[in-house]
Amino acid sequence: MIEVRNLKKTYDVKRRDGLFKSHREKVEAVKDISMRIEAGQIVGLLGINGAGKTTTIKMLTTLIEPTAGSYSFDGLDAIAHPTEVKKQINMIAGGERMIYWRLTAYENLWYYGQLYGIENVILKQRIEKLLKLVGLEDKANIPVETFSKGMKQRLQIARGMINDPKYIFLDEPTIGLDAVVTQELHEEIMNLAKKQEKGILLTSHYLSEVEQLCDYIYLVNNGELIVEGTKRKLTDFVFLRNQYAFSTKGMDEGIYLKLKNHIGFVDKDADVSFEGGKTLITSKVELSSKLAEFALDEKLTINELHKMEPSLEQAVIKLSKEMQKEKMA
Amino acid sequence: MKYFLKVVWAEAVKQHRNYFNNWTIYISLFIWPLFSFLSAYYSYSAFDVDGTLISYINGKNILVFLMLGYMAMSFFRSVVQSAWNFSRERQSGTLEYIYLSTANRLAVLMGNALSSVFESAIVMLVFGMLIIISNRDSINVNTISLGIVLIIFIAMALLWGVFLNACFLYSRDTDFLFTILEEPMEIFAGVKVPIMIFPAWAKIVSFIFPLTYVLEALRQVMLNDASVSSLSNILFACIGIIIVLLSATLFTIGIVEKHMRKTGNVVLF
Amino acid sequence: MEYKVLKATITKEFQVRLRAYPISFMVGCILTSFYTTFGAWLMYHYFFRGQLSDSFTGLTGTSDYMSYAIVGSLMYLFVVRTCLNVSRTLMTELWEGTLESLMLAPFRRVAYFLGNMLLQTITTFGETAIAAIIGVVFGLRIHEFNLIEFVVAVLISLYCFFGVSLILGCVMLYTRNTYITQNTLFTAMFLVCGITFPKEYLPFGLKVLGSIIPVTDCVSIMRASLLGGMPQAQVVKLAIKALAVGTVYIAMGMPLMKHAERIALEKMEG
Repeated sequence: MIEVRNLKKTYDVKRRDGLFKSHREKVEAVKDISMRIEAGQIVGLLGINGAGKTTTIKMLTTLIEPTAGSYSFDGLDAIAHPTEVKKQINMIAGGERMIYWRLTAYENLWYYGQLYGIENVILKQRIEKLLKLVGLEDKANIPVETFSKGMKQRLQIARGMINDPKYIFLDEPTIGLDAVVTQELHEEIMNLAKKQEKGILLTSHYLSEVEQLCDYIYLVNNGELIVEGTKRKLTDFVFLRNQYAFSTKGMDEGIYLKLKNHIGFVDKDADVSFEGGKTLITSKVELSSKLAEFALDEKLTINELHKMEPSLEQAVIKLSKEMQKEKMA
Repeated sequence: MKYFLKVVWAEAVKQHRNYFNNWTIYISLFIWPLFSFLSAYYSYSAFDVDGTLISYINGKNILVFLMLGYMAMSFFRSVVQSAWNFSRERQSGTLEYIYLSTANRLAVLMGNALSSVFESAIVMLVFGMLIIISNRDSINVNTISLGIVLIIFIAMALLWGVFLNACFLYSRDTDFLFTILEEPMEIFAGVKVPIMIFPAWAKIVSFIFPLTYVLEALRQVMLNDASVSSLSNILFACIGIIIVLLSATLFTIGIVEKHMRKTGNVVLF
Repeated sequence: MEYKVLKATITKEFQVRLRAYPISFMVGCILTSFYTTFGAWLMYHYFFRGQLSDSFTGLTGTSDYMSYAIVGSLMYLFVVRTCLNVSRTLMTELWEGTLESLMLAPFRRVAYFLGNMLLQTITTFGETAIAAIIGVVFGLRIHEFNLIEFVVAVLISLYCFFGVSLILGCVMLYTRNTYITQNTLFTAMFLVCGITFPKEYLPFGLKVLGSIIPVTDCVSIMRASLLGGMPQAQVVKLAIKALAVGTVYIAMGMPLMKHAERIALEKMEG
């Protein structure tokens, strides 16, 4: 089991002011993160860009050292013993770089296998197995530069498993992939955890991806945990918030205030705002019919009644506000 | 040890496949030192060659004298562009995976140098051998010394490569490194003008470059029938340099790893 | 429109340079020139103890080897710096991924390159001046200064170097390699363009190569303007030839560049 407590990372950054002048600045990439990953579990680390996901993953992979906090890896102090940790982990990042384009799929895997000192006989079997697993066995001897994005990404997965790691860190693995490939990849990730008992940490900024895959979810913003919990718990918090855009002919401040009042009866926690002639509503309650009713009662013609999928950005903003309110209280 | 060698070999093979993947690269790596060699050779035409102070150089063997210089330099110099190429792995993200693995960092740098030093210089080596063989009546070789000098030469070229790999990998301003470490080598290591006739201050500068020592030894055994005992000072200096290069590299690797874990950035200077 | 592109290019390049390039960049260039000069100095004074061969004075019209070599190396510095920057600009844009957006903007290539070239010329003049001071220490002497010839030499050189830069830029874009391409061309120019020794010493093939690179004639005219030893008629003849060759380079370089850009982008996609 991986367990980190109160991880913190502060960078000392040099900023250039001019040709000769520069000054130093402290940047807090991660302020306070505690989390836990168990074998066979897929843990999600969710956050918008710049939330501190990558820094967290780099600390967990021992590539960077936390400024403060503790990190226990199967009972071992991981900060003091990075090499021991490295033997049992690997990382798979999204994007197509990170592999040698001029080498074939087989050669790439062979090279990384050698870096882990794997016996040649075992390595050969493992490469064949992995290539089969990711469906590249026919392409083993073709240079990677001719691969499609999806194929490169699948090779990344094989590469990430070359040392048969116990824990795998997936850093935005589906970034830039189309829906079909993404779906394939999701199945692959499920397999790794459920059939092969790997502990997996997945970072993402796609809500649906995390919702579909993860058993336990951490939501971070500005280097801090905002909320954590099982999928069920977070579903309430994050995923089931519906967003509506609603406007009628001749909608003005007066109509808006009336509408706000009306919604307040149904859901007193709803977030209502008036922007650019439209009313925007976020609520846990299904409001479509209520809005239609309102228009009917007031004899207004509906211009727009639109229900939107919840977005991560909004969830983060909303939850941060709630956290702050809680803190104040 | 077995693990170390596995990594060296894997890195050399990777570098070969990834970089020396077609024959044009060998040719272009040859043309460049060849042109420098020809420039030096023809610029001698402006002078009266027999007027030189060096006893073992004359109008007859000056071609071999120069050829040895440029051949040896191509081994020491070749590593630069591949080191520069290696430093691109920082941007492509593959370096991070190397650091994520448990592989010995020195082994990685060494494997890379092994491939680049020998593959880049191979065509120049063949060409040089042909020139030397066709001028064989102008040389005066001590075979035993030559064997020893060659072993030291290879060790030094390789470690120079490892050292430069480390420098390039961990530096932001590679152009500048090139200017201070690579460009002056042609002049100060005595490739086209022997260091014996240097003014004192220039001699001191020349002692910085490992090539200086091993090139002098090589020329002595090829042109002047020098015995091992007569070269003992130079050879000891060479072994000393080998130790210094190795420790400097190990030291840099250690610092970089620490620095990277602190800042998340492999660029050290 | 043209003027705007020119101005924007200069401003952008200037900002990029100020931020990204430390002083070491300039120091590096001056050092490069120093090494060449120093090498010639060692060769002349120490290795061959000041004994020139009989043919040298006849071929060059001067017996001052150091001034001959230093003027050559200053011109070499000038051409290398110009080429390095102008040719590499597009490569840098390609690497940084800005080439595509650049090509989308409907501006004229000429203005873009001229902008780079102008800025580079100013910087390079400064660097060459510093290198020239070092040259004086090593024995650079002006024997017969001819202002008109000097101005002609500078203008023609700028024109020709621009042409050479264009062609080099095409090769770089096409091979997607700067390091080997640029250094091979630079060492080739050092060999065949009469930088530290008269090109007459070279075998026939290399001599021909030297005469179709306009840098050779530019170096000769510059030498004539500073060191003398060349009849006026000869200078005029060389100037016309350099101008003609430079024009051929530019006329070929422009369409080639467009072609190379297209290929570079296609390769990037694949």
